[in-house]
Amino acid sequence: MPWFLQLALRQLFPPGKRFPAFATVSILGVGLGVASLLVVQTVMNGFGEEHRLRIRESFGDCVVVGNTPLAQPDELLKVLRADGAVVAATPYAEGPALLRQGDFSGVAGVRGIDLADPRQAARHYVVAGNFADLDDGRVILGAGLARALRVQVGAKVELWSPAMAEQAEKGKAPLPAEFEVCAIIRTGFTEVDDRAALIPLRRFREIWQLGPRAHGLILHLKDPTQAPAVAARLGAARSELRFIPWQDIKKNFLEAIRFEKTMLFFLMFIITLVASFSIGSTLFSAVIRRSREIGVLVSLGSARWQLVSLFGLQGLLIGALGTALGFALTGGILHFREGILGNINRLFGDGDMVAQVYQFSKVPLHYDGTDFFVAAGFTLLTTAIAGLVPALWAAGRKPAEAMRDA
Amino acid sequence: MPELLRQSSDLVLTAQGLRKSFRAPAGPLEVLRQIDLEVRSGEAISIRGSSGSGKTTLLQLLGGLDEPDAGEVRVLVPGRGLARPRHHLGQGVGFVFQNYQLMPELSALENVALAALIAGRPAATATRDAQELLASVGLGARLSHLPSKLSGGECQRVAIARALVNRPTIILADEPTGNLDEQTGVEVLNLLLGVVAQRGATLVLVTHSREFAERTPRRYTLSGGVLSPA
Repeated sequence: MPWFLQLALRQLFPPGKRFPAFATVSILGVGLGVASLLVVQTVMNGFGEEHRLRIRESFGDCVVVGNTPLAQPDELLKVLRADGAVVAATPYAEGPALLRQGDFSGVAGVRGIDLADPRQAARHYVVAGNFADLDDGRVILGAGLARALRVQVGAKVELWSPAMAEQAEKGKAPLPAEFEVCAIIRTGFTEVDDRAALIPLRRFREIWQLGPRAHGLILHLKDPTQAPAVAARLGAARSELRFIPWQDIKKNFLEAIRFEKTMLFFLMFIITLVASFSIGSTLFSAVIRRSREIGVLVSLGSARWQLVSLFGLQGLLIGALGTALGFALTGGILHFREGILGNINRLFGDGDMVAQVYQFSKVPLHYDGTDFFVAAGFTLLTTAIAGLVPALWAAGRKPAEAMRDA
Repeated sequence: MPELLRQSSDLVLTAQGLRKSFRAPAGPLEVLRQIDLEVRSGEAISIRGSSGSGKTTLLQLLGGLDEPDAGEVRVLVPGRGLARPRHHLGQGVGFVFQNYQLMPELSALENVALAALIAGRPAATATRDAQELLASVGLGARLSHLPSKLSGGECQRVAIARALVNRPTIILADEPTGNLDEQTGVEVLNLLLGVVAQRGATLVLVTHSREFAERTPRRYTLSGGVLSPA
């Protein structure tokens, strides 16, 4: 071990001192900064991942639509299902309708879904009733819409489609379609939960007089992350159709999450910067206090770079140990996050905010190695610079001056 | 002529025309005016002067820790002949300071070995030499003690061992007894003169004490920025 590293370690952790104040406080400061940075990043990643999963489950990996309803969806389904990148494809139809229950009514976005498709995402979000009960006389409602209509599972609702209005204009007296609510879903997306009404595709075609047509297809892909590339490839040969990857379906929302994460990174990074500044200032005072020792080291033949290393390494060592502590704290905080959040909620009486606002049963997490790498890199860089500035100053001093000024 | 050559080859330190002044609010303060000095191998000389006379400044110039405003210093550097000490710190010159200047976090052994490690010696050699030197200055039983656990006299012994560990040609001692009581001061000076002589090194001793200065064969006084034989 080079002498300057040995001396740097001794100066940081002097023998006989159980809690060397400078090293302990500095490492703790950096550790807390790194931990807050990584906890926020990991939870934000979790939120992002959870939302991305919901977008894919709610809207599919890729949606295929045209300027007009798809005239022969079954033909197209056959072709697309044969593509190597596509795991499954299912047709759907959608349209607005008025739902009514007694004196309460609401505008619904009705979607006709293929009951034969086992991948129907709605079955993951059922909060009351049973998805399997869905048939031609039953409907599944979003939680917000059910609340607006004051209905629960088992209640009856009337559905008025635009096609019925057209019939009324022609002098006919159409009757509303009647459905029994068989399930209620909550996805966490307000626009879905407040408007969704799911009925079988066959029934939708009947009410909307759609015939064999469909409004679009939902594709499930082997590798959802490749959705933009697959969409571009499939769409290149079919100019009359639009292939929309899931990343574009809620582009603004995903961008907002990404932006939020970036902003939080910078805000949290300020904590680490503050810790680094405090290391820098403490090291400066240590360097001034050690002026005579610097002079002695020079008189013993210490080179300038060795002096820079001696003090620069102290900053770097604090950064490295602080980063390691930060990683450990991150693991601990995230492991006990539910308990911590529960205590915070109890303390401030906010109830279970995560469940209420995001409909997540647990605080979501997603560990991203890049975040840990970036946090460690930035922390080591700033602490090294914090140590390097006083180190350069110390190494630049004339030995006689250093010994005189001490 | 052969005698001159012999004498020239014996030189371990030369200082010619040294001048040094410091900036002060009232204008430049001239500390050293015209210093000429030659020291030969194995000599022990003392430079005596009152406080503020420039003794420490002169020693720092001789050891290369500071640069003169004018004049030149040359010190015998092993393998290089007479060279500027500023460019060869740690080689040829060993320092003993008034306040010992030991690293407080290092043990006596580590303090001495540090000098050898800085000089580029392997750790095993550095430790072995440091142990031997500390034993020779009577601290063989105090190797692992930190400076805070040593007395002033013991600290100065460690500092002397540190100054000697790289086998310098010349030792520059700046008031080595200044922080010690009289009895301990005498003991440390005896030790310093003894080990320097034993190792064939040269000693330049700076002190304000007439008694200690008289222990060296050649004596100078520094007064008014001028060095003159005592």
